[in-house]
Amino acid sequence: MTDSPAIQVRGLRKRYGDFEALRGVDFDVRAGEVFGLLGPNGAGKTTTVEILEGIRPRSEGEVSVLGLDPGVDVRRIKDRIGVCLQATNLPDKATVNEVLELFASFYSRRVDAEALMRRLEILDKRNSYYATLSGGQKQRLAVALALINDPQLVFLDEPTTGLDPQARLEIHKLIEEFRAEKKTILLTTHYIEEAERLCDRVAIVDAGRIIALGTPREIMARTLGHSRIEILCEQPLPDRRPPESLAADKVVVGDDGMTLAVASSHPARAVVELVKWIDQQGVELADIHLKRPTLEDVFIELTGRRLRE
Amino acid sequence: MKATLALTRMYVKLAARERGALFFNYVFPLIFFFVFGQFMGAQPGGAITRIVTMVLVIGILGNGLFGAGLRAVIEREANILRRFKVAPITPAPMLVAMIIAGWLLYMPGVLVVLGLAHFVYGMPWPERWLSLLALVTVGSWTFRSIGLIIAAVANSMAESNILIQLIYMPMLFISGATFPVSMLPNYAQVAAQFLPASYLNTGLQRVLLRAEGIESVAGPILAMLASMVVATFVSIKLFRWEKDEKLPRSSKLWVIGVLLPFLGMGVWQAYSREHINQSKRLDREVRRNQPRLIRDARIFTADGRVIDNGAVLIRDGRIDQIYEAAPPDPKLLRADVVEAAGKTLLPGLIDVHVHLGSSGGLSEDPRDHQAIEGMSRALAAHLYAGVTAVGSAGDSPTEVQKLRRRVDDGDRVGAELFLVSAGGGPEPAGAGVLAAAEAFSHLATGRPDLLVRSLVAQVAPAAMLAAARKRLAQDNTRFRGRLHGDPPDVESARASLLNAWRAGVPLVTGSDAGYPLVFHGAALHRELQLWVEAGVPPAVALQAATANAARLLGAGNRIGRIRKGFEATLLLVDGNPLQDIAATERISALFLKGERIDRPGLFEQE
Repeated sequence: MTDSPAIQVRGLRKRYGDFEALRGVDFDVRAGEVFGLLGPNGAGKTTTVEILEGIRPRSEGEVSVLGLDPGVDVRRIKDRIGVCLQATNLPDKATVNEVLELFASFYSRRVDAEALMRRLEILDKRNSYYATLSGGQKQRLAVALALINDPQLVFLDEPTTGLDPQARLEIHKLIEEFRAEKKTILLTTHYIEEAERLCDRVAIVDAGRIIALGTPREIMARTLGHSRIEILCEQPLPDRRPPESLAADKVVVGDDGMTLAVASSHPARAVVELVKWIDQQGVELADIHLKRPTLEDVFIELTGRRLRE
Repeated sequence: MKATLALTRMYVKLAARERGALFFNYVFPLIFFFVFGQFMGAQPGGAITRIVTMVLVIGILGNGLFGAGLRAVIEREANILRRFKVAPITPAPMLVAMIIAGWLLYMPGVLVVLGLAHFVYGMPWPERWLSLLALVTVGSWTFRSIGLIIAAVANSMAESNILIQLIYMPMLFISGATFPVSMLPNYAQVAAQFLPASYLNTGLQRVLLRAEGIESVAGPILAMLASMVVATFVSIKLFRWEKDEKLPRSSKLWVIGVLLPFLGMGVWQAYSREHINQSKRLDREVRRNQPRLIRDARIFTADGRVIDNGAVLIRDGRIDQIYEAAPPDPKLLRADVVEAAGKTLLPGLIDVHVHLGSSGGLSEDPRDHQAIEGMSRALAAHLYAGVTAVGSAGDSPTEVQKLRRRVDDGDRVGAELFLVSAGGGPEPAGAGVLAAAEAFSHLATGRPDLLVRSLVAQVAPAAMLAAARKRLAQDNTRFRGRLHGDPPDVESARASLLNAWRAGVPLVTGSDAGYPLVFHGAALHRELQLWVEAGVPPAVALQAATANAARLLGAGNRIGRIRKGFEATLLLVDGNPLQDIAATERISALFLKGERIDRPGLFEQE
């Protein structure tokens, strides 16, 4: 693997008539990483991916995929990438093996279909019609199709949308394996946990722009995201005014005087101070809860909206 | 290439797993096959071949339009094509594979239909196998590609269904695939010239029926290939991977581009009518090839022999066999039976001297003379009356030639036309003409007897007869003055006829039909009756009107006698004209070159 990025995007814009779907997007996907595009529906994730896959023309900007321009070398790009669409549909009466062999015939390179089916645990379904597969099996076949040409770059467009929790976990496991194998993957998702758990780096997309980019940890750290501490006491607090030591944090005591909600940028220190304060008043702690900030909180902080509205 | 093959294999498998596809490719045409077979009384020769071409055309249409048209839309609508869009594959191999797969799936059906036609209905195996398969192949490809272009322009299943029906229905019903073209009204015949299916239909008929090679239908083949190339090209241009991509309305105009070759052919054919006439000829040929067994008839062979109870087998438009004893079971012969007990079978009658350009009426309007419509009506009148060949005397040779070509082609049905003398030339002996002499005497005396004869009323237009009756009641001397070359009076004509007969001169019949009060078709029967009245034996008179007349016209080696190998141009009359010559007017059935003639229909030809 060379050090040059698998994907380079600079100033990418896409207009549909008057509507601007992408308003200047910049990012790189490095070889060997799982890169996530996280954002709500309609943010521009799929448009971005389709431009990179070469199936949608761009309006402006520089794009390079595996060193090629998707507007020019679309055929060569398609030959070297693997794509798992958000929703894959195949002819009902084609068998798993037939579909793989058919798609294998389109590419200049291919891997062994049987090995691929074994790896994706659909080998026992090799002679079953597509229509008879479960949702998870269909999705694993879609992933297999994305790998049949031994691609240098894999696009997974919302690979778990619409799957039941069990099937989603199977796909997550697969992606984690790919990550361990240092495959280059561009993953789009609107699931926070998917981005946090599966991606090396994440770009948060909203309304055609990238509003944050980095490792999940970096993004969370860089924002004003506060941890949230929730405390439940056995008795009401006699003195509800927090001490000086907690002046930097926002402490809200419930009407009953027994529940506390604290937002803190230094949660570890705040917890110590809170416990000390409650203890000094002779009140016993019933429960204590520390919530780290999530990408969801980051998104809310950056946009004022929840991710899935 | 690798991808095209893999796609083709996939499409064949998918279609083979689809119950609907199997039904439309195999069951549906076979239903047509047997239903037509039963209704049309499929027999070897014409009818079964026509059914086979019908079923093949229907199959190719269905396979092409529905098979290709709907599948492509279904795959797009179901978002299946989206997955192919992100693979390194272009529309071209997919479309080519769709065309080839449909064709591969269709071809076994062709063999099934041919096999059934052979084993169930006794159709001979096609002589031109390669031409047949090539034609079916080109037809299949063409309609597949037309189906694909429909898929390309239709924005939804419903829309493509409508488009397909719009194309399918007219092609089914006016291309000649289901109804013979000659049964259609004229405007539909012209409209059919714009439909590729019409050319496929006539092409298949020519190859199957006439054993012509593919080169003889090169024009339609090239038009189909051109349509296919344009359609495939346009389908590639308009190919859509996703249902969300909608085509601008104007793109639908591309369809016209595909039909352009046929638009051109249609315009040319509407002008030349060549293909229309060709379809009519093929229809006629089908009818002529129908085997028939006329049995239990008295047969006047005109070969010097009368068979009291015999049978004649007609096949492929010729006299195939003459049986003097009981004929074989018609089922074994696969022939239609014509029961002829109490009837007499004669060779078609021949009138060697007629003036087609004149009507036989008493019109003084010059427009009533030498008009081509009048001539073709006269020819129809002759045939109606069982006069299957006439010698034209004194008519415009160009018009006669034109008419003769149409009749010979089978485009128009009428008596076979011979040119015996061009205007004013010497007329052959035998223009004996008692009928004309009789008419002349009636004309002079104003007697209307000839106008009320039954056969005359059948062949001559009522208006003409009414006008003639009116004129006869008026002063007739004016007519006398106008006539030139007046015939002799009845007595001297009779005397010279008897003299000639007694001297052993071979006699032929010529009626001078077209002369005032000598009506086309009816006149020959009157002539025969006058001969017998004069003392000529009926057998001699009939011999003169058949074998002798044929020999005079130079066609004695194929018409005028009932003999094996001769043209099956036969007249079946009630009774026995050898005893009562007037029986020739009581026509029971008429066959022209094997075709059973619908006599009243003769006057309805445009």
